[in-house]
Amino acid sequence: MPYHYPEGTVRALLNTDHVTFATRTALETRLALEAAYEPRFFSAPEYALLKAVCDRLIPQTGSEAHYIDIARGIDERLARNESNGWRYDAMPPDQDAYRLGLAALEASAQSRHQQSFLHLAEDQQDALLTLIQQAEVDGEPWDHLPADRFFEELLAEAVENYYSHPLAQETIGYVGMADTPAWQRIGLNELDDREPRPL
Amino acid sequence: MQQYATSETVDAVVIGTGAGGAPLLARLAAAGLKVVALEAGKHWQPAADFPTDERAQSKLFWNDERLSAGEDPLPFGNNNSGTGVGGSTLHYTAYTPRAQPDDLRLRSDFGVGEDWPFDFDEIEPYYDEIERFLGVSGPASYPWGPARKRQYPLGPLPVNGAGQLMERGCRTLGIRTSPAANAALSAHYFQEGVGWRSACTNRGFCQAGCSVGAKASMDVTYIPLAVHHGAEIRPESFVTQLIKGASGRIDEVIYVRNGQEERQRCRYVFLCAGTIETPRLLLINGLANSSGQVGRNVMAHTALQIWGEFDEDVRPYKGIPGALISEDTHRPSDQLAGPVDFAGGYLLQSIGVMPVTYLSQMARARGLWGEALKQSATAYNHIAGINILGDCLPYGHNYLELSDEKDVRGLPKPRIYFSNGDNEERMTSHANQVMRRIWDAAGARNVWAFPRNAHVIGTCRMGNDPNRAVVNAEGQSYDIPNVYISDNSTFPSALSVNPALTIMALSLRTADRFLNRLNRLD
Repeated sequence: MPYHYPEGTVRALLNTDHVTFATRTALETRLALEAAYEPRFFSAPEYALLKAVCDRLIPQTGSEAHYIDIARGIDERLARNESNGWRYDAMPPDQDAYRLGLAALEASAQSRHQQSFLHLAEDQQDALLTLIQQAEVDGEPWDHLPADRFFEELLAEAVENYYSHPLAQETIGYVGMADTPAWQRIGLNELDDREPRPL
Repeated sequence: MQQYATSETVDAVVIGTGAGGAPLLARLAAAGLKVVALEAGKHWQPAADFPTDERAQSKLFWNDERLSAGEDPLPFGNNNSGTGVGGSTLHYTAYTPRAQPDDLRLRSDFGVGEDWPFDFDEIEPYYDEIERFLGVSGPASYPWGPARKRQYPLGPLPVNGAGQLMERGCRTLGIRTSPAANAALSAHYFQEGVGWRSACTNRGFCQAGCSVGAKASMDVTYIPLAVHHGAEIRPESFVTQLIKGASGRIDEVIYVRNGQEERQRCRYVFLCAGTIETPRLLLINGLANSSGQVGRNVMAHTALQIWGEFDEDVRPYKGIPGALISEDTHRPSDQLAGPVDFAGGYLLQSIGVMPVTYLSQMARARGLWGEALKQSATAYNHIAGINILGDCLPYGHNYLELSDEKDVRGLPKPRIYFSNGDNEERMTSHANQVMRRIWDAAGARNVWAFPRNAHVIGTCRMGNDPNRAVVNAEGQSYDIPNVYISDNSTFPSALSVNPALTIMALSLRTADRFLNRLNRLD
């Protein structure tokens, strides 16, 4: 059974002394990101494709105002040519891997459905993503990229981007950022007053 | 802080300011030597610079790309080396169990792996000194290993939900547990040369940087002590070359600071850059490798994690992450989980976890995405983990090499081959059974495993045979007498405990041996 937590918990705590200045600055910057974003690394069609994939990996049902742009963090990282410290030796460099992977995904959509991934029904999109996750896609573009590793890396980065966002952290009842002055009640079933209770 | 001119010949340049470099730096400075530490990363001010935010804190990780090859490619970044004054202690969990005497004689006891070139009695006084200086929090009596000469200086940190659950499961199965030794303060503590440090606030964020100074990372312990004694810390200085003079000794270190190449003349070099960067620098410079062992013998602890979901509210973001320990599996009996068919052993620790780290691991290991992922994620406040740290044997198939690919600095990226051997597979399989039984007994559901290896070790091993080792038992290079190595690269075997405390102990031991030698020369 999924747990549900009240909305607004993290945002309310950000305005209190339970959060340090450094923490408030980091999280409010993320909350204040403008919805409109022009990709700097990906082309517009690549970026649309990446967003569509991210929307299946982590579907978002809330209002437009609460939409978390997972793809944006990926684009910004690749534009800065930053690494997370390692990559699978079997994978090409990150920038190439993303470009190749998206092109291969699109090629697979075209060869299976004669349509762009963007125009597939959600269950068709999910079925194709599952094949990629299980490395059961073939065709020339995948010869240069292990499909399962590509999927794993993309999924991990999408998850990290999504759950780094205060709005996503609210949904899982995480308020670890409100760590000032100290957590007093840390044992099983012990909650400090500022910790949200599940609904 | 003391500053030395680059034109001056200092007594020693220390490369790296983590657990291997910082204690030694303080020791040499206290002996009156002119010492300069070169650190690739920044010198952070934790209170102002460390938000409680995993994304922002990824700045503490060594993020230059490494290529992970082999059957069990090792993740780096948040899983291993750090950058910044303090090195990877900036993001270590501060779990500081001592190695046990038999950890140092695996070959004698099992006929595999390597013995260390000295025994436990050589390290024990340093453990004692370091625990006292750092203010390690631990239990009044510890059930495993040789009797302690002195108690831990502070009582144990409070046990969080994950620790309580592990204790519950272990008690049912007859496995002994204890609050763990952690180098984070359970009370305010006065430190020589540093001043008062404040107690841990249970913020559970050790692996992404302590903002209150309670965790004994090097930047709040041995580094200020070193500065107090006259050492200079030169941050954002990335070493690229060691220059050999006519005498065959290194007399100059070249590094890049603010985009400019600078040179520091010196009498001795202490290479403390960790298991990857230390051999990488030596290989790039073609140094200290007459044994052919530089980059060989990569080891990484078996480190399987077992996660479970509980009815109880756990809130895994609170409290020291590794609150509880058991070393009943150090040399497990056959009663625990059937016949023991591997050399060495492992420890068990309870683990709390930060959300992004947890969910990223869950996505990778379980392959969850879509609604299934989001639903599982809502259980975050109800999850707890157990983790092992076990020995890993050195194998010919596990090594580091320089790749043809260049990094942003124009230097070859390292490629690290790692595949678990039969011993690691059997140990992990044993641990998998033990941990699942503990979680069953504690009432867990939806139990899942995150396979991993942690703490990369080896690559410049020490030993008594110059044909099989890079440095001698004092950490001194066999090839270049004024080069010492002090970090986890010199470990001949991986040990069955977290390495940081032992790295610090070897660092002080190397410093003392070096100073003795120097005095004899005078």
